[in-house]
Amino acid sequence: MMSHDIPLNWYLVLAAGLFMIGLFGVMTRRNPIALLMSIELMLNASNLNLLAFWRLGTPHPGEGPLSGVVFVALVIGVAAAEVAVGIALILVCYRIWKSADVDRYDTMLG
Amino acid sequence: MSSVPVHSATWPTASEWFFLAPVLLLACWGLLVLLLDVLAFRRRVSPTQRAKLLNSISLAGAFAALGLSVLLLSPGWLSTDVLAANEAIFNGTISLDAASALLQVVVIGFLVLVISFSNTWRFTESLSEYYALLFWSAVGMVLLIEAEEFMTLFVALETMTISMYLLTALETRARRSAEAALKYFIYGSVASALFLFGLSWIYGLTGTTNLEAVGRSLAEPGLAAGIGGQWTAGSALLLVLAGFGFKVALVPFHQWAPDVYEGAPAPVAGWIAAGSKFASFIALIKVLILALGSWSSPPGQPESPGWIAILAVLAVVSMTYGNLAALGQQNFKRLLAYSSIAHTGYLLVGVVAIGVSTQRAGATAAVLYYLCLYGLATLGTFAVAAWLARDLGSDQIEDLNGLGYRSPLLAFCLSILLLSLIGIPPLAGFFGKMAMFMEALNTGPSGKISLTWLVAIALVNNVISAFYYVRILKAMYLRAAAGSGRASGASLPSGVAWTLMLAAVANLGLGLYPSAFFAPLEGVAISLVTPHGPDGTDRGPRFAAPGSPPRDRHEPEQARIVAASPAASPHH
Repeated sequence: MMSHDIPLNWYLVLAAGLFMIGLFGVMTRRNPIALLMSIELMLNASNLNLLAFWRLGTPHPGEGPLSGVVFVALVIGVAAAEVAVGIALILVCYRIWKSADVDRYDTMLG
Repeated sequence: MSSVPVHSATWPTASEWFFLAPVLLLACWGLLVLLLDVLAFRRRVSPTQRAKLLNSISLAGAFAALGLSVLLLSPGWLSTDVLAANEAIFNGTISLDAASALLQVVVIGFLVLVISFSNTWRFTESLSEYYALLFWSAVGMVLLIEAEEFMTLFVALETMTISMYLLTALETRARRSAEAALKYFIYGSVASALFLFGLSWIYGLTGTTNLEAVGRSLAEPGLAAGIGGQWTAGSALLLVLAGFGFKVALVPFHQWAPDVYEGAPAPVAGWIAAGSKFASFIALIKVLILALGSWSSPPGQPESPGWIAILAVLAVVSMTYGNLAALGQQNFKRLLAYSSIAHTGYLLVGVVAIGVSTQRAGATAAVLYYLCLYGLATLGTFAVAAWLARDLGSDQIEDLNGLGYRSPLLAFCLSILLLSLIGIPPLAGFFGKMAMFMEALNTGPSGKISLTWLVAIALVNNVISAFYYVRILKAMYLRAAAGSGRASGASLPSGVAWTLMLAAVANLGLGLYPSAFFAPLEGVAISLVTPHGPDGTDRGPRFAAPGSPPRDRHEPEQARIVAASPAASPHH
């Protein structure tokens, strides 16, 4: 590989960092929009991983040249669908409870 | 990137498309239902008429797909005999084998039952959206079962789950429906993100997304040491298990399940419990055996670090928690949710058995058998919940009081399902559990005692579970109805009756004659957990060796897309 490339490990550390920030956000934030942002952060950390492995890793013999990129494209599509559905559900809940705090949505136990 | 090997993809042949015909039909039928509703029904037909029409049209579509999937089982429809085939189509992304052909029949069969009792009561005005989403989630399930590759698997999983989030929210009058949907969405998306991060690491470790190629890569000396010595492999495995754990409601990833089962409309809850769990479990088995098989445990030590040990512990926690938490429940659907968590535990014992048993086909067949009968029994019980919701507007256990006297046949059918879920001898649930637990002990001479503790705990749990199922029986037969005003059972909707009777007959019949279903299942189950080729050479053009012509089982009228292949491309 080209020696002036940024080494693979740097991308992996960055992706792991983003993922942990997202996970931390999911566990601590109570605003549903912030939760959605944290989930996006986690998905994009995976995308970064996939792209770094695709560009700098060693492909399996017989594997096509594009799998990593195609995977990322599909994940971006899935993430968009997820956000669309997520925002719709958040709006429904907001209209019922007039509040953007997931702890308020507690009709059922636990 | 000169290191990229010569590679060519081929356009799928007619025969390959035909194998996906049931799925394609379901996907198109969803659109058709939406269009018909907007163009023809919404303004011009009375609301009752519209509900009936949409239900019949959806039922017709589901039956058509069921018929197609049954036809595919008979030889002569495809260029290869499905029941003998074991190959990957669509450039190695979809499996064409006996197991996937049979399991797709089961999933579409579940869909037919769910649609048949969806018209029991009107929980939403968005009827066409409801049926369309049911169809599309079924598409996700079938593709999840047939996925041979992580991208396909991920997209199928998301197609299934995203449709489920919306279905859960469709009971527009009930607050708890929206709340359940949001909780399901948040837990589910986090699970998908964890799963995807695990997949990205597996892709990095192996350089491929194909299940079997991953399996072969991980079996190489550097990575085969198990997960103990390698933190990347260990975290990838844990992340993938966490992702699947959410989908199958496994403790400690179960928090969404009770709320979603209680909050979702009864047919949707039944669909989540039966269909979603069925498809996710099969995908879990395929991923664990085909791709991550060499991470199961170090050779000869099934209790050392690896997924066998992790799953055995999670199975114990899941069974025990589910059963103990179910004891105190008053809501019928919530009780079924905890029972579903406990059953995830039993099924995991079966998955562990596939990993350790010397008879892999038998162990796989046992899990599939239990999944089918558990799915049917669950659909039957949720049909009862739908019926309670229609007549009483609530779904507490006390609403079943006196049912044994008001409608004896219905109560008898429900009793059979509950006894089968406990695992009382002549019924199918008993046979399924016994088969799974026996296979968990069937580890050959090396580790005969190793999993005895797991099976012992599972048996103790079975006894605990009897207590809460018997509470339902007690309500039906030993208590009088609260008052005639709140009595249910005046007119039984036919969809509920059919579902309940079919589930009861299946649970009774297959319990009395288990081999009628078990023997053929054993024949096909092995194709689910067998790699398609020892080195991938016969896996279709995706794995063609450099320069060699694409394998032509199908004749060369196919359009050929040549990617990054200087040798074969006419432009060079």
